[in-house]
Amino acid sequence: MRPSARHIRHAFPRRALVGALAFLLAFLRVGEALAATIVIAVQSTDGRPLPGAVIAVHSLAGAARPGVPVQAVMDQIDRAFEPDLLVIPVGSTIEFPNSDSVSHQIYSFSPAKKFQLPLYRGKPYPPVRFDQAGLVTLGCNIHDSMLAYVVVTDAPFFGRTDAAGSWSAEVPRGTYRVTVWHPRMREDGELEREMTIGEGDRTSLTLRLLKPLQPAPLQERGHSWDAY
Amino acid sequence: MERRSLSVALTCLLAVAATVGRAADWELDLDARMVSTDGRKSFVDGGLGTLRYDQGQSGLRLGRIRFAASQPLGEVWSVRIDASDWGDHDRNPLDLTEAYLQFRPYPFDGYRLRVKAGAFHAPISMENRAAGWESPYTLSYSAINTWLGEELRTIGVEGQLDWLGTRLGHGFDLGATAGAYGWNDPAGSVLAARGFALDDRQTTLFGRVGAVGSGPLRAMELFHEIDGHAGYYAGIEARYFDRIVLRALHYDNRADAEQFDSALQLFAWNTRFNSAGLRAESGTGWSFIAQWLDGETYIEPDENYLEWPFKARFALLSRQLGAHRLSVRYDSFAVQSNLPDGAGVQHGHAWTAAYVFEPGRHWRFTFEWLQVDSYSANRVLQFGEPGFVRETQLQLAARYALGPLAR
Repeated sequence: MRPSARHIRHAFPRRALVGALAFLLAFLRVGEALAATIVIAVQSTDGRPLPGAVIAVHSLAGAARPGVPVQAVMDQIDRAFEPDLLVIPVGSTIEFPNSDSVSHQIYSFSPAKKFQLPLYRGKPYPPVRFDQAGLVTLGCNIHDSMLAYVVVTDAPFFGRTDAAGSWSAEVPRGTYRVTVWHPRMREDGELEREMTIGEGDRTSLTLRLLKPLQPAPLQERGHSWDAY
Repeated sequence: MERRSLSVALTCLLAVAATVGRAADWELDLDARMVSTDGRKSFVDGGLGTLRYDQGQSGLRLGRIRFAASQPLGEVWSVRIDASDWGDHDRNPLDLTEAYLQFRPYPFDGYRLRVKAGAFHAPISMENRAAGWESPYTLSYSAINTWLGEELRTIGVEGQLDWLGTRLGHGFDLGATAGAYGWNDPAGSVLAARGFALDDRQTTLFGRVGAVGSGPLRAMELFHEIDGHAGYYAGIEARYFDRIVLRALHYDNRADAEQFDSALQLFAWNTRFNSAGLRAESGTGWSFIAQWLDGETYIEPDENYLEWPFKARFALLSRQLGAHRLSVRYDSFAVQSNLPDGAGVQHGHAWTAAYVFEPGRHWRFTFEWLQVDSYSANRVLQFGEPGFVRETQLQLAARYALGPLAR
């Protein structure tokens, strides 16, 4: 599942179009077989599907370009980030409006993007640009329970698993490195596999986590809780 | 520093806050109660009852009017005030429970620093986690936290440093806190005079506990400096995600127990204790809280050593289902005394059951049943009343909250 269209729109449609055409031409010239479908299924330790896992697929041939940068929006509603996870290609921007009646103060101390948005309401700041691949953890310096993630990826193919714990994409035949990450995963870093898309039209890979998921953030608590 | 200087300092703080251009976040709450109780004469009126209301006060009561505001001062500083009216003819109709300046720099490399200066609650309670230092579980606080809200306030500086492991891919956060304070030398005097109680009336900075006149609780003013010694506390905290919180703290007001302020007619009470607390929450709406407190308070008039060791603990179990919350708490408490006549000895236990319905951000309805069984030597010695007493209190509370900080 890719981030919903509500939060992301493409920044440079013309550039995207040109990129896609160039990609297509490259294929025709090399004369490789047509693309195949790659299906990644992610399961928790008990075999149940894991929705919302972040999938990134890198080509081991090294030729594929990162995804086209997007302009995404991460709102703050009811003292929570909405959505609380975005997956964006390197070079994308995210706007962080505050739709709450109270002020927020957004920060990240993640190496992939350190930034701060001083105390604000509404939409006073320009979008923040994410130029380095990696995981960015966001918080609010006023409301400690607010937590969100931005996965900045240089993978040409990426997305999130759907409600059935599955994600699929059309990719050219070749060998790939598939990485899986989820905010509640206990595995150190990402789960990683290599896979080769050969003759078949459809290649599937099921990844099962080795450790149980971390507890999900608690819901339904009053917002003023943990004031002390 | 005299009380007046403190008052001036706080007024200045408010004035600074008011003159800074940025709009403050604020909240105004009105909490009305229907009370039915057979409680003994309440401590509010100078009695030795363990409840906020006594049998003469059944009926419609004002639970609390509360105004709170948070005003940014530049980027990482802010001023917070919390003012309350408890509807019981305290010295000031509206008075501060907390007023402080806070420094909140942005977290750096996984560490977060918070510094407070002013008057505020020490980070001990596991149940008083909601705005206004209220408990979201019950109306009346546990015996431990009632006492903390009644006699203790940090009037000084506190620093807290947290390591935010959960933001770095780990399962837990760790924190350390330390405070240095003055103006709290009479802390312990209410405990020795009345013992523990279970209520939600936090003593205001310029307010009093008890009634004007004679008797065991004669309008005690708790936020005074008598001996010029600063007190301290130091504590640690560990969190497992947002599910489990553990806290431990050592507190010592380092009061010189030989000092007596004749103008105030108050001793410096040396009060020190250890406290520990646990809060665990499940993803299915269950919460469990336990707290423990063990300490002593003493004075040394005329080379006598008068000591009141105290101990209290409670366990609370709570279940939330949407906008509904049911909680049950068991409290146990005891104050000992080294006086020959046993003056000040008190022990007892209490059961609290509360149902909270919070349909939205404005309204909160609470129904609470509270029963306290206690023995008090002072009831026998000072009032000639029975030592053992059972007190029961029913409260129905409707609270309306207004403003951007509400809920």
